[in-house]
Amino acid sequence: MTESGTDSGGTVSTSGTDSAAPVRHPRHFLRMFLIWIVIAVVADVLFYVLAGPHIPPGTMTSSASSNQFDFNILLIIALPVMLAVWVYLAYAVIMWRASNKDAPEPVGGPQARSNLGVQIGWIATTTVIVMGLFVFGTVELIANQGSGGGEGASPIWTPTSGSVLPVQVIAQQWKFTYRYPTFGGFQSQELILPNNTSIAFHVTSLDVIHDFWAYQLSIKADANPQQDNVAFTTTHETGSVTVRCDELCGIWHGAMYNYGKVVSKSAFETWAKSTEAANAANTKLLPPMAWTYVPDANGADGGYYPDSTDPYSPSEVYGAKQAAS
Amino acid sequence: MTEAARQPAPYSDTPEEREFELRSAIGSYWTGGRLFIGIWAFFFASLAFAYFYLRSNNSGQLWRPPNATAPTSLGWAIFAVVFASALLVIYGQRRLRGGSFVDWQVAGWVGLLGGLLAIGLQIYQMTRLPFYPGSSGYASCFIGWAVMNLMMLFSGVYWLETILANSIRLNRAEGPDASPATSSSPASQLFRANLDSCTYFWGFMAFVSALFWVFFYLI
Amino acid sequence: MAVTEQRDDEVVYPDPTPPVRGGFQGWPSRPGWISQHIGTAAVLAVLGYLLGHWLGNVIGSGYSNVANSGENSIAVTGGLVLGVAGWLLGIGALNYPLAKMAGIEPRPDYETTHWSRYLRYTTDHKVVGLQYVIGVLTFLFTGGLLAMAIRTELLSPTTHVFGPGTYIAIVSEHGTVMMMMATSVIVGPLGNWLVPLMIGARRTAFPRIEAFSFWIFTAGYLVIMTALFYGGFPTGWTGYAPLQTQAGVGMMSYLVGFAVIGIGMIAAGFNLGATIVNYRAPGMTWGRIPIFVWSILATCALLTLATPTLVAAGLFGILDHTAQTAFYVTEHGGSSFLWQNLFWFFGHPEVYIMALPGFGIVGEILPVFTRKPLFAYKVAAAGMVGVALLSFFVWQHHLFQSGINPDMRPLFMLTTELISIPTGFIYLVGLGTLYKAKIRFEVPMLFALALFFNFLIGGVTGVFLSDVPVNVTVHGSFFVLAHFHYTIMGGLIFAFFGGLYYWLPKMTGKTMNKKLGQWHFWTMFIFFNMTFFPMFLIGLLGQPRRVFEYAHNLQALNDFSSVSAFLLGASFLIFIANFVWSIFIKPTPAPANPWDSLGLEWQTPTPVPYYNFARIPVVLSDPYHYSEENAPAVADLGEPELVSVGAAAEQGNPDQRPEQTEGLA
Repeated sequence: MTESGTDSGGTVSTSGTDSAAPVRHPRHFLRMFLIWIVIAVVADVLFYVLAGPHIPPGTMTSSASSNQFDFNILLIIALPVMLAVWVYLAYAVIMWRASNKDAPEPVGGPQARSNLGVQIGWIATTTVIVMGLFVFGTVELIANQGSGGGEGASPIWTPTSGSVLPVQVIAQQWKFTYRYPTFGGFQSQELILPNNTSIAFHVTSLDVIHDFWAYQLSIKADANPQQDNVAFTTTHETGSVTVRCDELCGIWHGAMYNYGKVVSKSAFETWAKSTEAANAANTKLLPPMAWTYVPDANGADGGYYPDSTDPYSPSEVYGAKQAAS
Repeated sequence: MTEAARQPAPYSDTPEEREFELRSAIGSYWTGGRLFIGIWAFFFASLAFAYFYLRSNNSGQLWRPPNATAPTSLGWAIFAVVFASALLVIYGQRRLRGGSFVDWQVAGWVGLLGGLLAIGLQIYQMTRLPFYPGSSGYASCFIGWAVMNLMMLFSGVYWLETILANSIRLNRAEGPDASPATSSSPASQLFRANLDSCTYFWGFMAFVSALFWVFFYLI
Repeated sequence: MAVTEQRDDEVVYPDPTPPVRGGFQGWPSRPGWISQHIGTAAVLAVLGYLLGHWLGNVIGSGYSNVANSGENSIAVTGGLVLGVAGWLLGIGALNYPLAKMAGIEPRPDYETTHWSRYLRYTTDHKVVGLQYVIGVLTFLFTGGLLAMAIRTELLSPTTHVFGPGTYIAIVSEHGTVMMMMATSVIVGPLGNWLVPLMIGARRTAFPRIEAFSFWIFTAGYLVIMTALFYGGFPTGWTGYAPLQTQAGVGMMSYLVGFAVIGIGMIAAGFNLGATIVNYRAPGMTWGRIPIFVWSILATCALLTLATPTLVAAGLFGILDHTAQTAFYVTEHGGSSFLWQNLFWFFGHPEVYIMALPGFGIVGEILPVFTRKPLFAYKVAAAGMVGVALLSFFVWQHHLFQSGINPDMRPLFMLTTELISIPTGFIYLVGLGTLYKAKIRFEVPMLFALALFFNFLIGGVTGVFLSDVPVNVTVHGSFFVLAHFHYTIMGGLIFAFFGGLYYWLPKMTGKTMNKKLGQWHFWTMFIFFNMTFFPMFLIGLLGQPRRVFEYAHNLQALNDFSSVSAFLLGASFLIFIANFVWSIFIKPTPAPANPWDSLGLEWQTPTPVPYYNFARIPVVLSDPYHYSEENAPAVADLGEPELVSVGAAAEQGNPDQRPEQTEGLA
């Protein structure tokens, strides 16, 4: 049975040699669409309900919630797109295989070589989706103080109000150290943070490029030597935090990780004040607090001194109207 | 181009096909010449990017400490020699297009010598630097420039020398009445196409020299 | 050139049915042990290395940093550079460039059918293509073995098979070898072999540059493998400073290796680009060239223009290590961000150098096995050009978390999202071609369909990565790793194998075993997905790249991935078995057009003669008029009666008509 006419879906036409009964051509696109819409809706709903709330990085901080939300939206859009292609491929492979006796002969010619409507529709659809994703991503990035990514030394998406707790993250081969400038600059190997607080992470490195990845906090900022890379987030829940180095930094990169906790505000205050007092003697031996450190030119006494171009200032507050000193 | 008497031709070669292949070969010189300039352009653009990036960073205030300038007189001399040689090569090519083979030979060989002189001066300049290579961003970029300049000059000089040598052989083959400038033989047409592309490259070399002369000595 | 002695396997013209012949250049021109071939190349490479190393010691040993550290980067660099020079000198690549300086005219190839031509420097593009096949497969299997080592280490988070230094050297070596291989995996073997035939030409524009690109490619392989003798380099294939500055002499293998491979890439792109622009047969307008040629053309633009940045970046690194400049040293006026920017400015067009030829292959395979014309040919070509152009504007999406200027991020998010539009065109083309088709599931078609499946996952996850907020979650983790393995391996390598199965009958004149091919495909496809799909989850659950320790709760997923990887590696053995068996051990001659393709390259006899076409064809239409009534012929290959009479006619074989030789060699 040959096809007469080269439409794309279900139209009725008579074949040349058969009887007067009209022949109904299979409505390929309608079938594919129906299969697709069912699978896509089911997949999206299943994902959103079952997996969505558990998608990493969780909801411990504002940036974590926002990044989880972003991921979920992207996957909800991506799943139907991928399913559309897969449904089409599966349909083609089943219906239009050479061994399928019912499949008609393929027809070439100009109508098989291009179809302006299909082409324009495809380009328009992909452009709309992609532009929509761009707008969505930009809005999310700006509305969430940079979504936990390192913004460099002059961040432009900063917390809008309230007090911000600065925490310095010093990366070196091969461990992370945390300093708390507002508590006398004492140093800790464990990242303890207060709940319901805006936090500014100032990430720097003493030697090569590392990357501070606080997984549950959804903070990721490269640690560059002589650079201060600032990332923001606001904590919402208590819990434990895993910190891993996310940029290859030498042979022990795989072993460069430590842990931390988000605790209640009062618990944090207690811990910070008591550690500050307990470590006061050690803190005096450390280099003075600064946003970046440069290795001592001698190296022999193993010292670091603050990079004189960017000293730490206690009055540098984000969201406040006064300028940093 | 082959010794047809001793080498059997492997395929039938109609005059139309030979003409077609000749035009393809001439076109390839044109395409290849422009692509070659494009390749070097991106190569030097990377250096220019490094220059301006390190300059704007000025990390550690070490972009350009006070006495960090390459020897200026040598720098001017190198630039002048390259520029003059390129002008000579361009002049020579125009004389060749006008039909004068000898004029081109003279201009070409003098231009070639100029290129060699520039190479020698550049190497000499590297031994006369008032700064250590790692002492500043400017110093590093300058060393990079010197190396890349040498690579570019070597390419241009080599290319021109092979064309000059080839033209001498062609001139002998053409006989007393014709020269590669006037002959319409396939070899001469290819030679002229090759020379055109080489001349463009020398012009490009002059442009790059001028640009980096401005970067390293003027601003 | 006259042959004074004949070897038994040489045939000299005239001969009514000339056999396949290739040719080579070198000194002396006749084949034999005492002549230029890969053996002399190796010998001279070793001598060059020793000379360079000694020179480097002479130059460098006076400096305190060399004497105190005990390692001399100048010597290693000198050794590697002069080793490469020796390799090229030994193979004969420098013979004509040196002779040109004395005005000596070029010599044609010494024509022979002897198998040793594959070990020599040859200007026959078909021989170069087959040399590349072996070269590329060597790279691939080396990188694959290194990958098996990585997955062995990752079987357990606490039990370590390798020391940390060895492990990081393996990881870096694997990435670098694979990336070097992947840049040329299709352009080298299939681009060089097919492009002249597809455009109706007898040669490429610059055959010596083409041969040079192959031998530099092999030199680059040897250079990067020397890293294993120098203790490796710890930076991964991305080579970030300041770790690069901190590294030992193994780093020179990486820097010199990339510079060398970069020169080879530029040479290959330069040659093929000039060929496509100039050597198209009469009648082969831009609207009629096969889509594979469009993809190679777009790739050549990237190869020639993006790679110089890599060479420059590598040169700066070499200068940092040898001349003690401070390009990448922040404390001395340089910047580690400079490396990142230069590297990724090359690095992003690099991945499109890998992706585009894969799309081209799929575009060639689909019409043949669906018996339908390629849908939206113009859109496909425009898409490839668009991807090539846009690829220069997206590189900072690798640097979203680097602390670089934050207001650039929405811009690069925009350009990266935009590039997914032309990248998606291949799906429009593929799905349109499959519409109401008659699909024959031969092995090449299976690989082509697999590309659509795999690249979809890879491409969509790329959109995830381009979204800056989501990037915070997944950057630097196994999610990224899975993304690029899906696009590069799932897309490009699958297309490469599809292309091999499709064109090897024409390239070698032997048929590949179908059963083994199917086994290879299904094992490779299933185990590939089983290896890399879990890595998306592993990455989301917090495992960074290039680590040897990870959270205990991820061990099950890692083990699943590792075991699947071992099985994936084993699946390649099926291919090797098929290749060796079908081509060397028990070859079956292949017909001239086994797949019944309309492509111009299939209208030649098998094996393809040295000169490709008896007459330069006159092209009448594009090669996609399948299932069309009254379709025009693709090309007029030259009727004997139409040959113009002249001296030339006596020398050739006017009675040979390519279209009469189907079915027999």
